[in-house]
Amino acid sequence: MKPIRDFTHGELGWKPWVTPLDITAATQEQLSALKVTPSNRAVGAYSLVLAHDPEALNERSPLYNGIMFGAKGLPRAERELGAVMASRINGCAYCASVHALRFNQLAKQPEVMELLQRDGIDAKLEPRLKAIVDYAAKLTRDPAAITPADAAPLRAQGLSDLEILDLTNAVAMFAWANRLMQTLGEAADPAAPGNPL
Amino acid sequence: MSDVIDTLLEIAPDSPVGKLRRERPDVVKHLQGSDDVIFSPADDGGLTRPERAAAALRVAELLRDDVLVRHYRARLAALDPKGTLLKTVDGHSELTDARWDAIVAHVDLVTRGPGLATRDDIDELTAAGLSSHAIVSLSQLISFVNFQARVLAGLRMLKGVA
Repeated sequence: MKPIRDFTHGELGWKPWVTPLDITAATQEQLSALKVTPSNRAVGAYSLVLAHDPEALNERSPLYNGIMFGAKGLPRAERELGAVMASRINGCAYCASVHALRFNQLAKQPEVMELLQRDGIDAKLEPRLKAIVDYAAKLTRDPAAITPADAAPLRAQGLSDLEILDLTNAVAMFAWANRLMQTLGEAADPAAPGNPL
Repeated sequence: MSDVIDTLLEIAPDSPVGKLRRERPDVVKHLQGSDDVIFSPADDGGLTRPERAAAALRVAELLRDDVLVRHYRARLAALDPKGTLLKTVDGHSELTDARWDAIVAHVDLVTRGPGLATRDDIDELTAAGLSSHAIVSLSQLISFVNFQARVLAGLRMLKGVA
């Protein structure tokens, strides 16, 4: 097991195990797929690795954006909370760190990440956040164990069906992202330019 | 128009959950788009369509999603009429092909313990003859099915069925 690093302070770098695409040798299709990556920063090693399969990258980037940034529905901070929980359970320190930071920027509740870091799934959070964390953890660990009864705690905290769908999609997206991040490369210091999703 | 997720949920686009899904049109569009390019790519990078269906079936089995298992079993049957790959996924025959053996080992690792992966696991795929394109495609595929199973689990919950 890789050591779990600091989840709450700063972003970690990412070191690829697959040689990133040489952008000077990229095809038009690869360049086009790289343009729609979910942040406008310089193209990082992670995106350049994914660009080896431009067709998949070209669909996944707008899918990621639709799930994490789509208007209305679940507040973005709570989507980030789902991402953090999935990332913690999947052991992706890099993803957890990045998304804890985004949660803090959006929610202005730094104590939430501090409690999660200290107490994990048992953290004593306000009831709405606790319901989100519990569902995110269960869906991440074993989707086959989810039953209709798992919607009840979320609905009891006022989540609409659209909000529950958004949460599901965010947690599911990190079942995807955490797997790419941790199996095509590794978190590495010092911070390198990257595109963390 | 119904897509793969509707079909797997056995819902119509104008059913309550079908309408709910369509409040997120970008998600519907690019989820199906991802399915299309992962399983029927224009350029497969050396990871064939039957291999892609077989790898997805293996993920579905590991996640114990019966509907998804039937879906990928049918997709594989159409692409692998002799059932050669199906036998390896079901564990009824020896995995004597080093390349396919390496692919199946990677499917299991990335699904069950992504945090345990090391550079050696990628090196083994490379040694087995997979190109960078094929390795990234395989990684996207395994991760996509892990994503898909969780989307389905949440939608079944909202539909009110286990």
